[in-house]
Amino acid sequence: MKADPKIDELLCSFVDGELPPRQQTEIQRLAARDPEISRRLRQLQNCRALVSALPRSEAPGELFEQIKVAVERKTLLEEQPASGVSTAGVIHLIARRFLAAAAMIALLGVLGYVVYQIVAPVPGTEVQPPVAGIGKPLRVEPTQPAAVPIVVADSGFSGRLEIQTATVAQADAVLKRAVEQNGLSALVASDDAAGIRTYKLVSSRQGVGRLIASLQSIWRSFDGVTLRIEGPGQFAGPVTVQAITSGQAVSIVTSKNTAASIETARSYAVINAMTQRTPGRDVLAAISNDVAVAQDLATIDDKVLIAGPEADTTLTPPKGEPNVSLTIVLLHTR
Amino acid sequence: MERLIIKYQNRIFNVVLKMCGNSDDAAELTQEAFVKVIESIEKFKGRSSFYTWLFRIAVNLTLNYCQRHARTATRSLDAEDMEPDGTANQSLRDFLSDERAVDPAMVAQSRELCDLAMDALLKLEEPQRAVVVLRDIEGMNYTEIADVLNIELGTVRSRLSRARSNLREILEAMINEGGSKDR
Repeated sequence: MKADPKIDELLCSFVDGELPPRQQTEIQRLAARDPEISRRLRQLQNCRALVSALPRSEAPGELFEQIKVAVERKTLLEEQPASGVSTAGVIHLIARRFLAAAAMIALLGVLGYVVYQIVAPVPGTEVQPPVAGIGKPLRVEPTQPAAVPIVVADSGFSGRLEIQTATVAQADAVLKRAVEQNGLSALVASDDAAGIRTYKLVSSRQGVGRLIASLQSIWRSFDGVTLRIEGPGQFAGPVTVQAITSGQAVSIVTSKNTAASIETARSYAVINAMTQRTPGRDVLAAISNDVAVAQDLATIDDKVLIAGPEADTTLTPPKGEPNVSLTIVLLHTR
Repeated sequence: MERLIIKYQNRIFNVVLKMCGNSDDAAELTQEAFVKVIESIEKFKGRSSFYTWLFRIAVNLTLNYCQRHARTATRSLDAEDMEPDGTANQSLRDFLSDERAVDPAMVAQSRELCDLAMDALLKLEEPQRAVVVLRDIEGMNYTEIADVLNIELGTVRSRLSRARSNLREILEAMINEGGSKDR
């Protein structure tokens, strides 16, 4: 006999405990009286037990790493067209090629003129028959500059750390003291009307790292900190890291070389951009029935998706290391 | 974010695997789901719970995947049709029995029985499979299932009821096939 779908739905809901208490009691009473209903209930319970008892499968161990890589890749791909840097780069490249071609044509023109001056017959002179070895077309070897070995040396990077704060004077005092305590010298300029203080300094990576680490105590009072770093020609850049933490800044400047600094900065730029995407606390309160998850989201660890090196807190002065230049700008928050 | 992923990755993976039946694809779909969650977390407005929102993304991706691969999946299942041996056949009979309740722990102990149950589950149509997996494997209530699948509560009731009936019919067919081969 084919079961009634409506009754089946009720029985199914009964098995799942999804009926209101009154209907639940009615079904129980019905099942006690009607063996057919009782049999059908047993079938449903056993069928449900079979599926429920299937073993739980665990996600592969490397899943988190794969998610991290995928997120990084997607974020980088999204940022590239938005930044406009690539377009500017293409225009720059075309302009350079055009100039190079123009220079080449001009050079060929000059060379052609010089060659013509040399080989052109002087008016009034007779044309001699060609003699072996003489009168052959003059071959003009293109003048090539002597091959200069390309030495890719780490020549440091230049950076600009912009700090927005409501208390420029206090930050200025701390920064000034930090410069002195770390044995650095800086070129200081100020625009009191605009509330801007600028420190320009050139030092070793470790020196700059120590200076930034000295600011850790007041970092939280800053309203926003942005680091922009740029390497010499062979390095891609510049890279701007928004909402940077002191630990991140130290990691970037104390990386082993400029390439590593730029790479680390790029990673933090991605993760900080991602962190800024997380919802506000009002939404977080609605997230999940699990408060711990909401707290996790509210306090995302800025390094959690970037397995970069920990900031070196035991800085030691290096030997023979190229200097880096850093401009620290204290801006009054508007 | 790491804790969030670690907290849910096994549950999402388990549900996706039970829906698509292939662990490599399940890993890829789980990864895709989390990437989508991270990308669009700013769009989450808290109108539903985060738990159901997360599962909605994963389940939708999996359903799309299943629809795209429906033909291939059917072929592969046909090729690997299970032939229950005597023990598994009897265990399955016990489960479908209307005489007495059976011990679910028995399923976990019998790999063959697990494979049979999984095979039967994969033979259900995707929408029916989804409600069974969310209810009986993930343990969601009807309201949560309705939220995840974006369907009415009444549809959850009717679909689940039909799914269990169909599942029973598929399992009975397996027993009968096994029985006829034994003879």
